[in-house]
Amino acid sequence: MKILALPIEMVSYTDNKGVIKPIRFRLQINDEPMQVIRIDKIIETCSEKLAGNIMIVYKCQSVIDAEERLYEVKYELSSCRWILFKM
Amino acid sequence: MSRLIFHIDANSAYLSWEAAYRLQRGDKLDLRTVASVVGGDEESRHGIVLTKSIPAKKFDIHTGETLYSARAKCPGLVIVPPRYSLYMKCSDAMHQIFLEYTPNIQRFSVDESFLDFSNMQHLYPDYLELAQIIKERIKNELGFTVNIGISCNKLLAKVASDFTKPDRVHTLFPSEIKQKMWPLPVEDLFMVGRATAPKLHNLNINTIGELANYNLDILKNKLKSQGQVIWNYANGIEFSEVRKSNYIKMKGIGNSTTIAFDVEDKGTAHTVILSLCETVAMRLRDSRNCCTVISISIRGSDLIFYSRQKKLVVATDSTRKIYEIACYLFDNVWKGNPIRHLGVHITDFCSNEFYQSSLLDNFDYEKDKRINDTVDKIRLKYGSKAVVRSCFIHSGLNSMCGGMADGEEDYPLMSAML
Repeated sequence: MKILALPIEMVSYTDNKGVIKPIRFRLQINDEPMQVIRIDKIIETCSEKLAGNIMIVYKCQSVIDAEERLYEVKYELSSCRWILFKM
Repeated sequence: MSRLIFHIDANSAYLSWEAAYRLQRGDKLDLRTVASVVGGDEESRHGIVLTKSIPAKKFDIHTGETLYSARAKCPGLVIVPPRYSLYMKCSDAMHQIFLEYTPNIQRFSVDESFLDFSNMQHLYPDYLELAQIIKERIKNELGFTVNIGISCNKLLAKVASDFTKPDRVHTLFPSEIKQKMWPLPVEDLFMVGRATAPKLHNLNINTIGELANYNLDILKNKLKSQGQVIWNYANGIEFSEVRKSNYIKMKGIGNSTTIAFDVEDKGTAHTVILSLCETVAMRLRDSRNCCTVISISIRGSDLIFYSRQKKLVVATDSTRKIYEIACYLFDNVWKGNPIRHLGVHITDFCSNEFYQSSLLDNFDYEKDKRINDTVDKIRLKYGSKAVVRSCFIHSGLNSMCGGMADGEEDYPLMSAML
């Protein structure tokens, strides 16, 4: 996996206990057309607070271009922004 | 029972916090591994080095020097702007971890704390192991390294945490003073700064050991009570408590600002003084005091510094009164040269419970007090920008000058008292 740190648009689901589950997101790399990726499986969730900044890290798996890929998305609590961190 | 004090100090705090923050957001470069500094804004003439990385130290870059000279020493130097809100967040996160171990914490400044582990040997049998655990937790969870100094008082713990960096645990118990502390240059001692050090060098004191073994009477004669303090420190004698709050009874309040441009006319200078007075007077009223001495300091674009002070007949806490006196002082002392830096300081406090009015004064104190109180309340509730004097509109000047960058009210700064 390589660090990308791309800002992404995310559809997520928050349950009544405050647990956030990412469902699908879309992103644009350079001038390529916008592509939507559905998150097939969340393998691991953990939170990190590097430099006191809390981010929730999701290790996920999806089929992209007919190929199974592993990647990591992060949610920054203070700004409510999602990033595709590694792929 | 002997005490056990930890002093925990983040290594190149501003820089490693910025580095950890950038890495978290996917930056590929770790600022700590290259020559880099956190520097102020050169446009508004705050261009000095605030923190340097360890590789930058090899280029002989010092904290406090100008970015211009730092760049001259190291051409490829990476300069990042400061981000004070992040620093507060890092400091809070670090404090949260400390709180899990002991309730007795003194937050000495934004990046260092004293932790008191006295009488806790049943909870933490091995203090070195405890220090390692805290150090590793901060490294893994928060992404930056700290130095921990362990001793039986605050002074020795602070000296110990300064030994070798980064990411280390050091001890300095009284039995180790001779071999670990005494060979160090005298400048490394707390309270020996750029003013005291040359005086000590004149007495042929170059190391802490020489100071510790020097004749105390001569020191007291040359440096007065300060001589006794540093002699005690050099011998590791210090008994202050780990205080929950850094608050000590204030003796004076002051604010100063470096202006983004050179001030060349009286009107603008008065406006800057007014904005400083607003901050100073509000802090004074907040501390429930009145002051009787007001002083003003000026640093010209030639960097020559001069100041003047005046004792009042009647103690006051009024913004207007302080401003009037400050302007009077300024008009008397200013030599007409371009001004780079202005400061307003007040001292000699007394309680503001009663107001002693003067027969010779035609100043309506009651009316002025009402307006000051109202303005203070509005500013506390809605922020310092809620009510602004009209002379600041479109003036390009800040309506309340001094202190840290915008919005950093509770920023703990290091004090000269342990």
